[in-house]
Amino acid sequence: MAKEEREAVGEEEQEGLSVHSPAQAPPSSASSLPKEQTQVELELRLLEALEVYPPAKLQGIHRHFVLYGLMEHLRRNFERHFSADEVLQLLDRFFNLEMLKPDDEEAEIFNQEDDFTLPQSFFVKEE
Amino acid sequence: MGSSNTGGGGVKEEGAMDGAKNNSPTGSDSPNDGDTFSEGEKVFAYHGPLIYEAKVQKVEFRDNEWRYFVHYLGWNKNWDEWVGSDRLLKFTEENIRKQQALEKNQLSDKTAKSGRSTQYKPKSSNDAKVDKEDMKNLAAKGKKRKSHPGTEEKDRRLPEKLLISQFPLALKKQLVDDWEFVTQLGKLVKLPRSPNVDDILKKYLEYRTKKDGMIAESVAEILKGLRCYFDKALPVMLLYKKERQQYREAVRDNASPSTVYGAEHLLRLFVKLPELLAYVNMEEEALNKLQQKLFDFLKFLQKNQNSFFLSTYDGSKVTDELDIK
Repeated sequence: MAKEEREAVGEEEQEGLSVHSPAQAPPSSASSLPKEQTQVELELRLLEALEVYPPAKLQGIHRHFVLYGLMEHLRRNFERHFSADEVLQLLDRFFNLEMLKPDDEEAEIFNQEDDFTLPQSFFVKEE
Repeated sequence: MGSSNTGGGGVKEEGAMDGAKNNSPTGSDSPNDGDTFSEGEKVFAYHGPLIYEAKVQKVEFRDNEWRYFVHYLGWNKNWDEWVGSDRLLKFTEENIRKQQALEKNQLSDKTAKSGRSTQYKPKSSNDAKVDKEDMKNLAAKGKKRKSHPGTEEKDRRLPEKLLISQFPLALKKQLVDDWEFVTQLGKLVKLPRSPNVDDILKKYLEYRTKKDGMIAESVAEILKGLRCYFDKALPVMLLYKKERQQYREAVRDNASPSTVYGAEHLLRLFVKLPELLAYVNMEEEALNKLQQKLFDFLKFLQKNQNSFFLSTYDGSKVTDELDIK
């Protein structure tokens, strides 16, 4: 009886953990990586990139450009190509992206209706 | 600081231009004999020696004077700040000329001295610093960006403006023609367009894939981003006033604008793009890469200018009742 209870608690803790932290090694994508070390490196670089590109932004209107930024960041560090899916899979181990709320602030630019105006610089004739 | 007063005098009679409503919260007891500005008003703001297009986002009366929270159009929000009316000018033809003159001087100054300086927006007056402090206390804006390693003063110049300076000349001209058709001649783009924005984006991806011999993942992501921006931005920032009625008629039942509109409006998005991308706060390297890719897309538009863009607009149904010229 007591033992069962402990197990139940343990399970719950693990569940809570998996949402926020890198828990265990990933199931599928690990096979595509040559070394264990690369894996750690990869995660570190990704977390570093998240400082620039907050994951919450992946839920908003700027999603694709944030994703592009992350792809570029990893590509630069590892000198190989990263696909959008690959980045999302990596992120998925740290965050439950669906649970993240989009940043309200970032949408505010779209909240005010404004007529289009062509900046003056476009009217300047080539000299 | 004192220099900013030079433009303030001559603009009063032009205050009605460009939505500059004169119902700003100033009574007769204005502490400043200069102009007053209202929330949402488009203005010019001094920042260092130059003036920039800006928008007044908040107005407050503090310490016996009006304070304005401005956003510099096309610049990252990190530059937003509180300024006094002595830093602002009305958005008038006269001040547009003033801006150009200042820019010209600045350019010749710079090339004379030491080639190009990267510091496009030098901090100058003491009071700009005070304003920054005020801003922190008042509005906890930009809090999420504190952690951004690139928010140091020197890193905050924004290469986003580059996109506009890179605009191929033929497309600049296309935008001016577009402006003329709609705002001067009262004509409209006949909708729905073919090819529409979705078609054009798809064509570009095919073209790119063929050229590179592989699916360009990063390009695909950028194109998705452009489509997403386009759909969201079209009704709120890509239409001239005279096109609003047409929008309400043409885009119904949650249709996405990218299936209805075409190259003419897509090109306008590129004018707004620096402003939008400022919110992403991208690293400089990534941003530069992105700019190159966007530029490549613009060149593609230019190459297909004849098939993507209308050469004449539809004159028959201008629905804006104000337009009886």
